[in-house]
Amino acid sequence: MTAVPDRAKRPGPTIVTRLMENRHLGWAALAVGLVAPFVIATPYAMNIMTSAVIFVMLAVGLNIVVGYCGLLDLGFAAFFAVGAYTSGLLATRLSWPLLATVPAVIIATALAGVIIGGPTLRLRSDYLAIVTLGFGEIVRIIANNLEVTGGPSGIYGIPGLFGAEAADPVVFYYAALVIVAVAVLLAARLGRSRLGRAWRFVREDEDAAEAMGVHTYRIKMAAYIAGAIWGGLAGVLFAAQLSAISPASFTFLQSALVLMAVVLGGMGSTPGVVIGAVVISLLPEILRDLADYRFFVFGVLLIVMMIVRPQGLWPHRSRETARTAARSGES
Amino acid sequence: MKKIALGAVLGAATLAVSACGQGVLGSDKTDDSGPIALGMVVPLSGSSADIGPYMKNGAQMAIDEINAKGGVDGRKLQLRVEDGACDPKTEVAAANKLIAAKIAVSVGGYCSGSALPTLPLFDRNKIPMIIPAANSTELVEQKLKHVFLINGTGDQQAAAAVSWMGKDGAKKVAVLHDNTSYSKDIATRTATGLDQPGGPDKAALDAVTPGESDYSANIASVLKTKPDFVYWTGYYQEGGLILRQLRQAGYTGKFMVGDGSVDAKLIKIAGDKAAEGAYATMTQTPDTIEGAGGWVANYKKKFGAEPGPYSTQSYDAVRVAAEGITKAGGTDGDKVAKALEAIDGFPIFSGPLKFTPQHTLSNGGFVILVVKNGAFTLRDALK
Repeated sequence: MTAVPDRAKRPGPTIVTRLMENRHLGWAALAVGLVAPFVIATPYAMNIMTSAVIFVMLAVGLNIVVGYCGLLDLGFAAFFAVGAYTSGLLATRLSWPLLATVPAVIIATALAGVIIGGPTLRLRSDYLAIVTLGFGEIVRIIANNLEVTGGPSGIYGIPGLFGAEAADPVVFYYAALVIVAVAVLLAARLGRSRLGRAWRFVREDEDAAEAMGVHTYRIKMAAYIAGAIWGGLAGVLFAAQLSAISPASFTFLQSALVLMAVVLGGMGSTPGVVIGAVVISLLPEILRDLADYRFFVFGVLLIVMMIVRPQGLWPHRSRETARTAARSGES
Repeated sequence: MKKIALGAVLGAATLAVSACGQGVLGSDKTDDSGPIALGMVVPLSGSSADIGPYMKNGAQMAIDEINAKGGVDGRKLQLRVEDGACDPKTEVAAANKLIAAKIAVSVGGYCSGSALPTLPLFDRNKIPMIIPAANSTELVEQKLKHVFLINGTGDQQAAAAVSWMGKDGAKKVAVLHDNTSYSKDIATRTATGLDQPGGPDKAALDAVTPGESDYSANIASVLKTKPDFVYWTGYYQEGGLILRQLRQAGYTGKFMVGDGSVDAKLIKIAGDKAAEGAYATMTQTPDTIEGAGGWVANYKKKFGAEPGPYSTQSYDAVRVAAEGITKAGGTDGDKVAKALEAIDGFPIFSGPLKFTPQHTLSNGGFVILVVKNGAFTLRDALK
């Protein structure tokens, strides 16, 4: 990672690399997602596909924090939980339609992002990771102990996305797919925006960024809030899909799995993170036939993948292409 | 570039089609003349992984017995077990897998919290669900037509506990739970029972964090209230530690555990001396039912292991399911549910079976056990 590639000596991009940098690939992936139910639409297939899609949303949210901005967050499930619980509570106790809870969820998760980000973003690396780890546990334990959140059994009877009756799984899958596709696109655009460039700058060198006039604290806070909102909206989808949520879904393992998806796919790379999330959520299901050994095999596969490809399945490549390179060459 | 995109789509589509072949094959197996599949979601991994095999074996034993007698309506029974890991998301995926495999009845369900989201799924697909172990009252509060509980509810266990505390002459009772759905349910209901005038009083109602190894802080705060009876409603791992540490702290009063702690490991963890004389609220097990020794012997012969918690309930769940299908004359979910509602006096381990209008047992069948010479034995049948 630290070695600067020597442009002159590097061979031209291989076919695989060119394919991986193809801008239409996102559309192709979406098309695959759209076509899939025509091929297989058993309740089980729809269920794991929907779970995978929701997991993609989570991973893309965490990618904003970890991948773009370089802030290690070990408690991302907290935002997922805040989103799921906010929408679940409003929908069941106040009988709001689920879609109407979305603005409330955005406010609640942004608030949660500020609460955790406010005091902690002055910390760096390891210390930040420890605090976020604690925050994740705090949120879960609060949900476990409060009466209003239903304690350990959680909330049940959450309506579907479009009304009281739980929708057809195929309809729900399409709704989730479209929402998540938009979210992924937005996150990718955000990563290339002025804010996104500032995030990457902070990730590479915080002091240099500060010296160049980037308000690092505010920038980091923005990353946190954006990540929190993505996570919260994934929580809404999760609540709608399962119709019941309980603290058992928001353990440290969940946070770790999302982080794993981001790292496995390639930090900061949107297609990588999407692939990573799909792999992480589908692999345990594909290995289901191995019964007791499935998590063992899952772990071994992950370790092998990280040894063979430590930069991630689909690492981020700087968009500093010919034009920028030429410009820096002129000066 | 467009060609590449098209190629990618086609490639992915081919992959998907090959995956679909599997799915179709999987559902091909079931038709009206083949074996009747019963599904079971139990924890085979995760923190409750110990329980899964007990339940699976219990169910398998009933299935083999029924098949040896010719099956149900001339059709053999078949058991499909999926791992739920006590995690809601995994459990929902597992339930969907069973639904896709067209099971006739679901006979699984251990962790109440993660079983909850699977109920509407089974109900929507008209698959009756006979839950052998999970017993939180929330499971039946949704009043789903196809959901039945054959384990005693928290309500019934709490009532049994309070009645035994009164009988045993307890004055001040401390209730401890581990904040899981099941444990908290029993604890708060017991506390409510203790708050009623007459009988023993409540000294404390406290929660501990499961998975720790030192509970001295909780124990010190409980002992400050000077209880002469402590009731633990969680699982055996923490129960054993708490009992041991209570005794080490100089507590000499009575100790009782809920059914989740009734396991030989409780005595092992607490130590023979500390565990001696500890009570437990428990549904009847083959150990404590006279004349059921043969069942245990059969189980041991078949699986080479002792039956554990919920082996009997799972065994019963399969038998009740078979009874329902026989009475309904087929596997139509609505008819089976009706037949289950109509069951009256079908013999299961906890006594003659009859469902209440809420689809719970009309008779919880809780008894009091005591640890004597390092093993749980029947103390009082609370009849």
